Order: sequence, then C-alpha cells, then structure tokens
Amino acid sequence: MVPGDSGPAPRPEVHELTRTEFALADEVWRDYHGATGDPARDRIFAVFLDGRIVSLARCRRHPDGSMEVDGVFTPEACRGRGYARMAVGALVTACHNDDLFMYAVESLTGLYAEFGFVSIPERDLPFPIRERYTWAAGNMEGAEVRPMRRRAGL
Amino acid sequence: MQGKDTPACPIMKIGKPFASTRNRIAAIAVLAVLALGGNLLGLILGAPAGLLPLPALPLSIPIILASYWYPRRGIPFSICLAAVYAVTVFLLSPPDPLLPFTILPRAVFLVLVGGVVALLATRLRESEQQMQEIIEFLPDATFALDREGKVIAWNRAIEEMTGVKKEAMLNQGDYEHAIPFCGERRPLLADRLLRGEVEAGNPHTLVSETSVPHLRGGKGAHIRFTATALLDANGNVAGAIESIRDVSDQVMTEAALRNAGRQLNTLSGILRTDLANRLAVLYGYLSVGVMKFDDPAVLSFIDDLHDAANGIRRQIEISRAFRDIGRSPPGWMPVQETVRNAAANLPFGAVSLEAWTERLDVFADPHLGTVFTHLFENALAPATGATRIVVTYHLRPDGCAIIVEDDGTGIPDAEKERLFVQRAESYGHGLFLAHEILAITGITIRETGTPGEGARFEILVPQEGYRID
Repeated sequence: MVPGDSGPAPRPEVHELTRTEFALADEVWRDYHGATGDPARDRIFAVFLDGRIVSLARCRRHPDGSMEVDGVFTPEACRGRGYARMAVGALVTACHNDDLFMYAVESLTGLYAEFGFVSIPERDLPFPIRERYTWAAGNMEGAEVRPMRRRAGL
Repeated sequence: MQGKDTPACPIMKIGKPFASTRNRIAAIAVLAVLALGGNLLGLILGAPAGLLPLPALPLSIPIILASYWYPRRGIPFSICLAAVYAVTVFLLSPPDPLLPFTILPRAVFLVLVGGVVALLATRLRESEQQMQEIIEFLPDATFALDREGKVIAWNRAIEEMTGVKKEAMLNQGDYEHAIPFCGERRPLLADRLLRGEVEAGNPHTLVSETSVPHLRGGKGAHIRFTATALLDANGNVAGAIESIRDVSDQVMTEAALRNAGRQLNTLSGILRTDLANRLAVLYGYLSVGVMKFDDPAVLSFIDDLHDAANGIRRQIEISRAFRDIGRSPPGWMPVQETVRNAAANLPFGAVSLEAWTERLDVFADPHLGTVFTHLFENALAPATGATRIVVTYHLRPDGCAIIVEDDGTGIPDAEKERLFVQRAESYGHGLFLAHEILAITGITIRETGTPGEGARFEILVPQEGYRID
C-alpha cells in the first residue's frame, strides 16, 4: 500500500460467533444493559468490519423451546450504515426453521417488519419471554417495546 | 474367633500388624485384661471415693475392636465384658444403695457400643462382599489392587484367562499380578494409576492394547487393558481396578474384513477398467454407425444404444465413488467446513450459497462432503432454476436436522418416493450414494420441499450424533 493511500474500504462481513468468540460480544454488549451470551442457549450473529464487531443480534432458546430475538445492538459510532440489518438478516435466515419472538424497541419495529415480524398481543408471547417484561404490567407503550412474532420459514 | 467373620479379602484394613487373626485376638485379650485388671487393682488397692464406681470407658476399646473385627461375636463379647465389669465393681466397691443404678447404665452402655459397632461392621462386610461378588462374576477378566499395590480381587474370568488361581494371587504385591501377562514383574495400568500417572482428559482411567504371546495356550492374544482408580471419600486414590479383555477375535475379524474389502476393491477395480475399455469400444462402434448409416430408424436405434451406454458409464462412476465409503472410521465432522469444502469445486455462478452451521459438528462418515456435493449439484442443475441455496440446522426432540433448501422448481411429489433409490437417470442421480453415506452412522435423509417452491432436504442426525460447540 502506498503511504497516504487508504486503499479499498473494508467490507463488512457477518458470521455466527463460535463459543470462544462470545467474549467479544460480551465486550460490545457492555454498553447494552451489560448483556452477556450463553453458549448453551444462544446463537449470536455479528457483523465484523476490519476485524471488530460493529453490530450484534442474538437468538436465545428458552427451556420450553421458544426462540427469542434480542441483543440487537450497534455501537453509537457505527449506526446508520445498515449493519444491524445485516445481523438481523443473518439471524433470521439461520434460525428460520422456528417461530421467532421478540420485544422490539418501538423505533426498530419497521426494521423487523422488513424481515417478516408482525406485531402480536403480549399474551401470544411464550411465557419465558413474556416473563421478562412482567415489570411493565402490560403497559408496552410505556415500556416503549412491542411484542412481535415471525413465523418459521425463509 | 475366626472363620466366617474374617473377611476373605479385606478392602479396608486397620494397620498391618493386625492383619492376622491371632494378632487380633491377642490385641483384644490384652486390652480387655488391662482394662478389667486396672479396675480390679483400683478396687483392691482402694481407689479414691470420687472415682467410684470405676469408669467403664476403657473397656469400650476392646469391645469396639472385637465388634469391628468379628461382628457376629461383638454383642456376646460386649455382654460378657459388661457383666464381668458390673459384677466385679458391684462386689468390690464399698456398699452403697445407689450403686446398682450407677453400674447398670454403664454396663448397658458397653453392650450398646458393641452392638452399634457390630451392626456397622456387618453392613460394611456386606457391602464389601457385594463388591467382591460383582467383581467375581464380571465377564471380563478383572483384578483390583489396594493402595500398596497388593491384589485384593482376582476374579473367575482372570483365573480362566491366566490359569492362576485367586488363592495364589490374593494379597500378593511387588507386581506379581503382571507375571501372567508380561512374564515379568512390571507395572500394569492399575499400578500406574496408583503411582499417580494420569492422562489428560480422563485422570482416573487408562486404556491400552497389546499382544500377549503367553496367553491362549501360547498362541498369543490381543488384549485390551482398562484400569480405573478407586477413590476414597476425599477423592484420593485408594486402589485401582483393571479389566482385561481378549479382543483377539474382534481384531482378527476386523483384519479379515479389511482384507476382504481390499480384495473386493481390487476385483471391482479390474472389472471397472475392463468395462470402461469395452464401453470405449462400444462408443467407437456407435460413432462409426452414426457416420455409416443415414436411415432415421437405424439412427434412432443407435441413439437408444448410446443412451444405454451412458447409463452403464454412470453406474461405473457410482461404483467408483462407493469404493472408499465405510473404509475409514466415522468421526466428528465440522458441518460448516464440510459444506464450504463441498461447494469449493462446484460452479455456483450466480447462485448464492448461505451456510449457517458454524458451531455444529456431526458424527458421520468422512465422505459427508460427498452428500453436500450431490445435493448442491442437483440444486445447481440448470433445469431447477435455483438462485439461492441455504444450509441451516434445526434442533428437534429426535435429533438435529441439517436442512439444505433452494428456491428452484422443487421436486414433484411423484418423484419423492424414488428419490433415494439406486437409478441412473433424472434428478436423483447421486442421492442414493448420499443416502448410503449418511446411513453408516444412523443419519437419515428425506425431501420435504413444496413442488414449485424449491427443494428442501432434511438430514436428521440422531441425538447422540451431533454437538453444538
């Protein structure tokens, strides 16, 4: 590379994290409620740019077999470039054999709708997922989240 | 007191000096005499008033030892000793109306001590006996060592294998147990465990295989040794048990199968070459025929012959692909890497491949890649019109399904049933081979797609045949 020449811009790549890479996600999620991955239950999809994670999405298998999408997070400095769309797209393709559920942040429901998620009443969420938001006592608007579901299929 | 109460093969021992019956009886007698004699001496010489009646506690020591070593005689012995204590103390102590009420509880206490220890010792003996019987009737030749390396078990199967009786081997140390196998005193696996030699991954078990020329009447045998450490309550090695299995028949059968397979491969290779040569001649005649005749009926006939020759050629190709299947043992295969390798040499062109199986390993024949190759080849055929192939997995109660699907024309319902049977023509070419490769490790495959929407192959791996790293 010639000095001063920045070269071709690095391309973002998305892949599923291996067990040993979960620590990388935990590091990024430190700014996202301190979430951590559990290799026994979670599949984590990460967008890498130049060797570092720029967006994450997690699919968690609950004990009853239900699948919850959460942990969709892009660090502040990397937002607005479609990285979250890449991560969620990978997750949806990889996990499309199951129905997927989530509490979507209001501002991102449009993004999830692009992948086939539709709004559902909170009572239609599987119990282990609904349990996380019992503190909201059904006031989803107040909590600024919306229950959503995506039917299995590509 | 000896005979039935004495354990035939004591796993727990209280000190070396008391291993023999004579020493034990002597120890009990000496302690009983000392305790009783001390009492008598105190009473005769006139013990201080504060010490009267003399304590019974020293008598509990011979009672505990007698009840532990000889549980069946423990209670009678403790009753006798308690009675002697009560009578002597009662007769020799200064008269006191409360004396019986003081002496009697002490005598009862002594009997209780003897009873409880006898009960616990009996349970312990029963447990040891059960373990002995389990070892005795194990189908594999088995012996056990205590922590000093002495033989504490030598079962019936090992007697038959080595010709050495247990009476000659029990309590022997100094690697005596190795002589029937090695012809010399040397540590076996159980001895290595006692010395703290461990292998990474399984610190309490060692396995090895070797040929032993002395066995089978000097004909030699292929033996598999497996040793496991026996741990005490604190997790320390208290002994080791080793089983020895004669795997000569298995080894010979495997060798014979390998030889037969090799010979069959050689034979089929010769036949394949011969067939290919004759096929080349047939193709030559057909080419000449096309040039020589211009009658449409004859040309049509030659065309049919050409198709039949193509069918034979494909069969030869399939038999060549089958040649190596099952020859290498199955193993854990990383699915993502296998899919990538299978796709590497195929002309994907504008068709995209998305594989989401990064953490999945399956236990399969090493030719698993061939399965994906055939599935991809079928999806990539121009007639299917697929633009996208996706590989995912799905966890189910009966295992893990690896799903290979495309967005092509799919497979008509009428063809689905015959998809995995051996035939040369149409879509299913190679799927029979894929089915056979998977079946080696109990994996099944079926097609569940919707005609018109794309093909969808579900490869179901049984519960024990997959892992997610």
